[in-house]
Amino acid sequence: MTSRHKAVSTASSTEPRLSALRSAPPDSWIALSEDESALIAVGSTYEEVVAKSEKAGVSDPILIKTPKSWAPFSM
Amino acid sequence: MSIRIPYKKFPDTRGEVGYFAAIPVNIALPAKNSPRSKRFEAIIDSGATRCVFHAQLGKAIGLDVIKGEPETTNGIAGPTTVYLHNISLYAPGGIIALCAAFSLDLPIAGLLGMRGFFDNFKITFDPTVLQCELERLYLA
Repeated sequence: MTSRHKAVSTASSTEPRLSALRSAPPDSWIALSEDESALIAVGSTYEEVVAKSEKAGVSDPILIKTPKSWAPFSM
Repeated sequence: MSIRIPYKKFPDTRGEVGYFAAIPVNIALPAKNSPRSKRFEAIIDSGATRCVFHAQLGKAIGLDVIKGEPETTNGIAGPTTVYLHNISLYAPGGIIALCAAFSLDLPIAGLLGMRGFFDNFKITFDPTVLQCELERLYLA
């Protein structure tokens, strides 16, 4: 990696993320820790998952909206 | 400066793993110092004409989403209505002012499409290393 490039994630950090996605309810919002290594909160709405994250002490999570199913994407 | 982003894995209904290129972004109203949304993961999607975000994100930054200009978009499942609003997108390399679409039924949080995202980056998808490289363009 040269100084021109900045890695924003690593391959190894994606596995907890994948587990979180597999276990999350469909059509929900989930909050991951900043390094995507831990599932912080799950909510049915953006507002709910943000509130739960802040209650858990994580003010800068990464939010992901899960689809109704993990069928292949064609949008 | 460019950044390399490892493809993100997602589960599929067959118990296997798929990949997409996605980055965490924030959005806010265009006015300076407007509060930002939390960071959320948005998929880099050249098939999207413009950037599309879930309506709940629009509400979170203070938009009355359905008061935006309605626009019909053609998805693979057929046409749907989205609502247009001017916003600020916090992306690698700085803020992008754009007209974004907000959808009440987008299955994910956001799509980073041609207008507003692809016209601000040189983007290379590299399947040999499962990475996407973004180089910000600052066009006059």
